[in-house]
Amino acid sequence: MTYTAPVKDISFVLNKVIGLREIAKLEGFEEATEDMVGAILEESARFTGEVLAPLNSVGDKEGSTWSESGVKTPEGWKDAYSQFVEAGWGALAFPTEYGGQGLPMCVSSAVQEMWHSANMSFGLCPLLTQGAVDAIHHHASDELKDRYLPKMVEGVWSGTMNLTEPQAGTDLAAIRTSAEPAGDHYLIKGTKIFITYGEQDLTENIVHLVLARLPDAPEGVKGISLFIVPKFLVNDDGSLGERNDLKCVSIEHKLGIHASPTCVMSYGDNAGAVGYLVGKEHHGLMYMFTMMNQARHAVGVEGYGIAERAYQQALSYAKDRKQGQTLLGKSEDDQGIVNHPDVRRILMTMRSSIEAMRGLALECAAAFDIAAKHPDEEVRARCQRRGELLTPLVKGWSTELGVELCSLGVQVHGGMGFIEETGAAQHLRDARIAPIYEGTTAIQANDLIGRKTARDGGQGLMELMADMTETLGQLEKADNTNLKAIAKRFKVAMSSAEETGKWMLGQNDATMPSATSVEFLMMMGRLAGGWMIARSAVAANQLRSEDGADTPFLDAKIMLARYYAERMLPLVESGKTIITESAESTVSVAVDQL
Amino acid sequence: MSILILAEHEGGEIRPATLNVVAAAKAIGGDISLLVAGLNASSVAEAAAKIDGVAKVLHCDDAAYEHELAENLSALVVSIAEGYSHILFAATAAGKNVMPRVAALLDVSGISDITDVVSEDTFIRPIYAGNAMATVKSADKVKVVGVRTTAFDAVADSGGSAGVETVAAVAANDQVSFVGQELSKSDRPELTSAEIVISGGRGMQSGDNFVMIDEIAAKLNAAVGASRAAVDAGFVPNEYQVGQTGKVVAPNLYIAVGISGAIQHLAGMKDSKVIVAINKDEEAPIFQVADYGLVADLFDALPELSKALDG
Amino acid sequence: MKILVGVKRVLDYNVKARVKADKSGIELANVKMSMNPFDEIAVEEALRLKEAGHAEEVVVLSIGQTQSQETIRTGLAMGADRGILIETDDLLEPLAIAKLFKHVVEKESPGMVVLGKQAIDDDSNQTAQMLSALTGMSQATFASKVEVDGDHLNVTREVDAGLETIRVKSPAVISTDLRLNEPRYAKLPNIMKAKKKPLEVIAVADTGVDVSSGLSVVEVNEPPEREAGVIVGNVAELVDKLRNEAKVI
Ligand SMILES: Cc1cc2nc3c(=O)[nH]c(=O)nc-3n(C[C@H](O)[C@H](O)[C@H](O)COP(=O)(O)OP(=O)(O)OC[C@H]3O[C@@H](n4cnc5c(N)ncnc54)[C@H](O)[C@@H]3O)c2cc1C
Ligand SMILES: Cc1cc2nc3c(=O)[nH]c(=O)nc-3n(C[C@H](O)[C@H](O)[C@H](O)COP(=O)(O)OP(=O)(O)OC[C@H]3O[C@@H](n4cnc5c(N)ncnc54)[C@H](O)[C@@H]3O)c2cc1C
Repeated sequence: MTYTAPVKDISFVLNKVIGLREIAKLEGFEEATEDMVGAILEESARFTGEVLAPLNSVGDKEGSTWSESGVKTPEGWKDAYSQFVEAGWGALAFPTEYGGQGLPMCVSSAVQEMWHSANMSFGLCPLLTQGAVDAIHHHASDELKDRYLPKMVEGVWSGTMNLTEPQAGTDLAAIRTSAEPAGDHYLIKGTKIFITYGEQDLTENIVHLVLARLPDAPEGVKGISLFIVPKFLVNDDGSLGERNDLKCVSIEHKLGIHASPTCVMSYGDNAGAVGYLVGKEHHGLMYMFTMMNQARHAVGVEGYGIAERAYQQALSYAKDRKQGQTLLGKSEDDQGIVNHPDVRRILMTMRSSIEAMRGLALECAAAFDIAAKHPDEEVRARCQRRGELLTPLVKGWSTELGVELCSLGVQVHGGMGFIEETGAAQHLRDARIAPIYEGTTAIQANDLIGRKTARDGGQGLMELMADMTETLGQLEKADNTNLKAIAKRFKVAMSSAEETGKWMLGQNDATMPSATSVEFLMMMGRLAGGWMIARSAVAANQLRSEDGADTPFLDAKIMLARYYAERMLPLVESGKTIITESAESTVSVAVDQL
Repeated sequence: MSILILAEHEGGEIRPATLNVVAAAKAIGGDISLLVAGLNASSVAEAAAKIDGVAKVLHCDDAAYEHELAENLSALVVSIAEGYSHILFAATAAGKNVMPRVAALLDVSGISDITDVVSEDTFIRPIYAGNAMATVKSADKVKVVGVRTTAFDAVADSGGSAGVETVAAVAANDQVSFVGQELSKSDRPELTSAEIVISGGRGMQSGDNFVMIDEIAAKLNAAVGASRAAVDAGFVPNEYQVGQTGKVVAPNLYIAVGISGAIQHLAGMKDSKVIVAINKDEEAPIFQVADYGLVADLFDALPELSKALDG
Repeated sequence: MKILVGVKRVLDYNVKARVKADKSGIELANVKMSMNPFDEIAVEEALRLKEAGHAEEVVVLSIGQTQSQETIRTGLAMGADRGILIETDDLLEPLAIAKLFKHVVEKESPGMVVLGKQAIDDDSNQTAQMLSALTGMSQATFASKVEVDGDHLNVTREVDAGLETIRVKSPAVISTDLRLNEPRYAKLPNIMKAKKKPLEVIAVADTGVDVSSGLSVVEVNEPPEREAGVIVGNVAELVDKLRNEAKVI
């Protein structure tokens, strides 16, 4: 099944909803004009559609394989990766001083959606490299940056993130991997599990970022340091030296993303793996947190990226497949199941949800972009708050909803959806990891109510609500019945969310909000997504009156928003009931009663 | 009205395409002259004189015309163009190479690939890979036209008795020379004029597997064609390509095997009288134009078909 | 040597053309437009010749609406050095296009012009031949291989019966066929650099070239539809139908 990147939809969000033009006015982002970004999106669409997408099913069937000599990626992977590097796609958002293009995050996120739609297993390799580059760029010494960043930015070396250990998953305080000082470096020993692309045959070198403890480290999260541990040591002239004392001892057999090797990594089986400290001792976890927002955002993009692929496949099947007389088909030739109203419901749910998620992710990225470059400190701070607030929504809500949508995609295919040959099942299997890694949904929910809401006394949330109120005003003012219909549901949803938020903040016993925090995360995700799709309706409505307007396209945008408002926003209302009423029963049955 | 046609010939024989162009000329109406340019081509000129409907044959014998070089042919056509209301070419590789030059030298528009004659100055031609048919009208003093051969039924190559006149050669262009050619040898009929065509696509998987197609082609006296994907993959040579940018065919029977039916391919075969598609994917667009569709693995279906044709 | 390449903005080859309700042409508003695929091959060939040291500069020329600048930028992103747009809102005939190319050839004196063998919108297959005729530059159409040999080119051409090779003296006009090369993907840094490369815009009127045409489009219609066929159960049934129903074998 092919993939055609929805360039027109993505451009619409960037240009007409989040206001790329404003971002391109910021110093350092001058390149990101609408026509430049348009050209980038077009070429990315070609590359992902023609090179990455055809490898998606090959990757699933063949998977990456392990042997003593290393990990072999599926047929065609290596060639595609070198084309990817050659074309410079990995370097999109990286700093220009290390060879990147320095484009805004909203643009790189738009491009990355295409990687994940086309081939999520493939997209993970550059995604992890990006995380590692961010960490090194922000926290490592200039010497380390100069040594590692150029090749990583170029993509000829990849990066990995080594957090998880058998006993330390969500709770990173339990990390045991050790680091012994040894002159200008450290010797690392320990086992890391679930390391994505911990070993592969795509790049010359792999730069592992490893969390480990120094001998004198304090207990818990405050005693963890971050190290660069390269697969091959790097000589002073930049050439590759000796093989480091680390290896991939096995890879996992998984539900999905078969082509992305998930590695058990063993460090220091012999003398100890040579590692270089990033930043200061014992600050490792803090460094991880500063870049966590980007990584989590990227996984959220994965969530709707994969849903977009599932949607395209479902839509194409629904047009072709015929079963019985449909209610909506206009002629004998027009009897695809797409014309059964319930199949429409599924497709509308998929499409409108994807647009809501895309809008939210790009809005969040744009907030970080402004936070990074705006001249006014207050604006920067406000946008940073906004970006941070939206991040757990992008990660938590979009990945969970992504799984649901991929499941709906299977449903559209009927029995064929359950058959692997069709390809719809792969998307569902692949999508399932996204709510787990980079912090499970529960952790996103904790982040939302803890760090992102309670800590600033709800300031970020209040600012968000104020912006939503402004959009509500625009909807209500518009001379368009569809926009008025959206306004009606949006208003109710907003007040439900507000009341729920007050309830959450008013609880003395932490157990209560915690029991329903994921519900709250979903509620806020749905509402914020609704806000974004409502803004796209407002924009579409304005553009409709312009000369030569693409009316069918704009009308569809408005109707998708209305569907979302009428079908998804009521879940915000019911969310209020669930959150405020079910907390007690959730935790009142004792474990031995379960 | 008087119409000049550049005749195509090879190996001492008129190419069938020329007979279709004469048919188009008859549809326009008027005196038809055929220009036969070549080296030692008097036998061709004689054969041309017998073509039904031809009033006059102009014969030019010179080494300059041995290899259909566009520069030389166009200069010759222009040298005798005076007085003609129409100058027609077959829309073959050779004809397409010359027609636009003649038009440009006469400072008139070229009209490519006509499939129908509405009147002496109005023609129909496919655009956008045949997804639309344009009706175009020419106000030029002379209409320089390429004729899609499959759209006009060939006239008889006998029955006529035109006179043959000799015309003088034009000095050969010295910037261009013919080096050589690599023509595929085949016992099969020529693709664009065959009654039956069987084509293979990417689904054939290899050039070797085309043996299965050849076998059936031999039994049906059919020509063998291919999709672009099959040509690009190197299964068969370029001259097999049927489609918008390859050859246009319109046989009585076209059998598409392992071809998905992209619009670019359909553009080259959808005017065939009967279309058969063999494809394992029941959703393949080729089935939308097929009169008879067989959803099957070609590796089962082709041997079966070959056997069934023996019976 | 300088190479001039023609790039035309056309309806993307994946998009099905739809005839306008008033039969005046094809619906082009709000549909995806791209560089004519044969022109991508032309740009690629020019770049390869430059990379092999046979040319110093690759100039892309488009004739069309303002939006054709995007098509030129695509060529610049692939690696061409400079662009020229001759701007017009009219759909010009190949003869007018060839005359405008000639105008540019006279100004730029390229050693080679590379054009696509046809544009996939009007399917004319005329411009290269016309340009050669108008300028006296050598003609080598439907090229599947181009070899530079001093001031000559050896060009292998796709013809109806196979391949033929001709030798032409430079300067020459080449038209590309599908097997000439496989166009590259633009690299991200080049996409970004493309914006800074020079792009000159000239109005048709300022060229002084007469672009009037004797040819006019009366109307555009949908092609006749084929009647729906049947799916047969097996090979035996197929052969039976072909023999006894369609009577074609
Ligand atoms: C395919 C794959 C790739 C991965 N790639 C990487 C990688 O590249 N690098 C890396 O370091 N790690 C990676 N991981 C590990 C991944 O990040 C962890 O699996 C994830 O963080 C969860 O940790 P865990 O598996 O130990 O689950 P646990 O932490 O044991 O969680 C089990 C359940 O308990 C819940 N839970 C735990 N703590 C809390 C809490 N405080 N509040 C509420 N609920 C809680 C969780 O939500 C979850 O439902 C990968 C995992 C997989 C499967
Ligand atoms: C500028 C341009 C010009 C073009 N010009 C032309 C042209 O002139 N002619 C042309 O043909 N194309 C042309 N194309 C290409 C066209 O778009 C398609 O890519 C091409 O026609 C596809 O060829 P195909 O059907 O063989 O391959 P595919 O589309 O890959 O289809 C292969 C088919 O084989 C079937 N199949 C596979 N295995 C089996 C099996 N074992 N049994 C039965 N069926 C099987 C599959 O189901 C599939 O339907 C052009 C494209 C462009 C951009």
